[in-house]
Amino acid sequence: MASHYRRLICACIYLMLVCSGAARAADAPLVLAASSLQESLTAAANIWAASGNPRPVLSFAASSVLARQVEAGAPADLFIAADEQWMDYLDSKRLLAPRSRVALLSNRLALIAPRTSKVSLPIRSGFPLAQALGNGRLAMADPDAVPAGKYGKAALVHLKVWAHVSRQLVRADSARAALALVERGEAPLGIVYITDARASARVRIVGIFPANSHMPIIYPIARLASSRNREAEAFRRFLISHAGKAIFARHGFMAR
Amino acid sequence: MDISQIILLSLKVSIVAMLASLPIAFLLAYVLARGRFAGKILLDALVSLPLVLPPVVTGWLLLLAFGNTGPVGRLLNTTLGFTFMFRWTGAALAAAIMALPLMVRAMRLSIEAVDRRLEGAARTLGASPTRVFFSITLPLSVPGILAGAVLGFARSMGEFGATITFVSNIPGETQTLPIAIHAALQNPGGEGIVTQLTLTSVALSFCALLASEVLARRSAVNKGHDHVL
Amino acid sequence: MSFSVDVEKQLGDARIALRFEAAAGITALFGPSGSGKSSVLNMIAGLMRPDRGTIRVEERLLFDSMAGVNLPPEQRRLGYVFQDARLFPHRRVRANLLYGYHLAPEEARWMTCEQAVDFLGIGHLLDRWPATLSGGEAQRVAIGRALLSGARFLLMDEPLAALDRSRREEILRVIERIRDEMRLPILYVSHDRGEVDRLAASVIAMPETATG
Repeated sequence: MASHYRRLICACIYLMLVCSGAARAADAPLVLAASSLQESLTAAANIWAASGNPRPVLSFAASSVLARQVEAGAPADLFIAADEQWMDYLDSKRLLAPRSRVALLSNRLALIAPRTSKVSLPIRSGFPLAQALGNGRLAMADPDAVPAGKYGKAALVHLKVWAHVSRQLVRADSARAALALVERGEAPLGIVYITDARASARVRIVGIFPANSHMPIIYPIARLASSRNREAEAFRRFLISHAGKAIFARHGFMAR
Repeated sequence: MDISQIILLSLKVSIVAMLASLPIAFLLAYVLARGRFAGKILLDALVSLPLVLPPVVTGWLLLLAFGNTGPVGRLLNTTLGFTFMFRWTGAALAAAIMALPLMVRAMRLSIEAVDRRLEGAARTLGASPTRVFFSITLPLSVPGILAGAVLGFARSMGEFGATITFVSNIPGETQTLPIAIHAALQNPGGEGIVTQLTLTSVALSFCALLASEVLARRSAVNKGHDHVL
Repeated sequence: MSFSVDVEKQLGDARIALRFEAAAGITALFGPSGSGKSSVLNMIAGLMRPDRGTIRVEERLLFDSMAGVNLPPEQRRLGYVFQDARLFPHRRVRANLLYGYHLAPEEARWMTCEQAVDFLGIGHLLDRWPATLSGGEAQRVAIGRALLSGARFLLMDEPLAALDRSRREEILRVIERIRDEMRLPILYVSHDRGEVDRLAASVIAMPETATG
């Protein structure tokens, strides 16, 4: 059953790639990356392609979704997750190429509001988040599975406000989806990465969660064991180099 | 995931969606079946739109109009203090819009099938047009109305794209069966829940279809049609 | 005069124009298929609107294009017996019979249900569904339904055409009895000379329909 399923997923993903508008060169690596890396990784891929290399194909989604695809046999070459746990998960299934796993980036968590909102809410233990929400909901990635949500929940637990707001959440598919809800004004507040907040002109940062309120946000990168792509390793090396990390730094990420 | 909560929510959303769109669907079906006016083709196209638009687009349009920052949403909020966002009513609205074209089609067919000469006969017997409608047209359209209702219910039970785009995934409020399956699928190792939810979904659809069959059978037997070959 | 009719109607390519007066009893409208006989009946019933003309039945003005009078069918107090009976399939025979009866004002009802049932011999059919009736049975119920609606005159559109020989005889006798025992003006449409000769006091031949 599992292998049929895997083959079906492979076939579907292959079909999608074949039909996708982006004409993929025969040796262009396929990179699955957490959605918060959208702008920065695209920029890195552009620079990489500008030096004459095959342009990597990028697929962004929540790390949990991507881990599922890899587990089901997606023909990807590189995987960049937004937390160690999903990488550990794949490691435990022996799906990673040995010695290719490196901690690449770090990030911070921000509390955001629509740009026109005037809310002022210093973040500290017991802060009145529920009151600030009123009848509205807090938009964040699914705290049960998506890294941004897990970090967010940990921070709220640490600050002793989780119990007050846990029933008032919108569990978005990803941090980016949560960002979109706040941009639209459908949610008065949201928790996303600080890099997400910087990427959008329609939200403002209300506060930054203290780094000690959650596990350090680490983005590991690894090559997948099933990868047969010769360019994949070269691209991975580029990303973990000084030049690569500088690109991410420009978008607000911190290096590891 | 609380499976019984998901099922009950799905049933609530679908039944409300079906009941709310029933009169509107019938009105539209009647106008399209019997009306003769300029712009009838446009109305027909407009009603069929949710059938051909990608569901995500429909959901996004609902968001634009009925979201808290949209024109209708803002009006409802300020005048009635009512909102569709992140509430089961939003899920019901999305389901109703998606189900409407199917319901209209089924009902329109059965209204068109009502023999207008029977209506004429009723007029000669002294019935006003209103009485003709309620005593002849409506009862004879009932099979189509029921078929439309069942179709609408089934479509609502399966509604996903518009719902998740419009009101997201809120357990207890908008996490209907299809959305729950989608969420469970996103977690590696969620096959167990997915299987349970899928089997439930199939069973419910099956029951709905059986119910519609039984209803159709009963209304035919009552008229003595099973004696007529 | 029972019937005083003068109507004109353009139906597609065909033009129907008829003018006649008729006394009590059965008046036949005789002509081949397609000559517009049914259309004339529908105009008298109010189901079709003439382009111009007047329709008067028993001194009641039903339609007058000049004066702008056009009584809707439900106010014309007529009974219409169709070729195919047109019983309501979703109601049993009893409910069909009483459909018009319940809608007629008290003083308009000149026949009770029992009387009609006796007259037509349909007592054993009252609980049946129309779909289960034979042609002759259905036609008898249709006649009963029309009579019970408080009809002051009857229109009959080839009521025997869909029936076989033996049934035809049966219904013919019913119609003869209506003619003889009830004082109802009847306008009877047919293309069958035999029927017409047997039943009608006067015959009106349909004019050739002008085409174009």
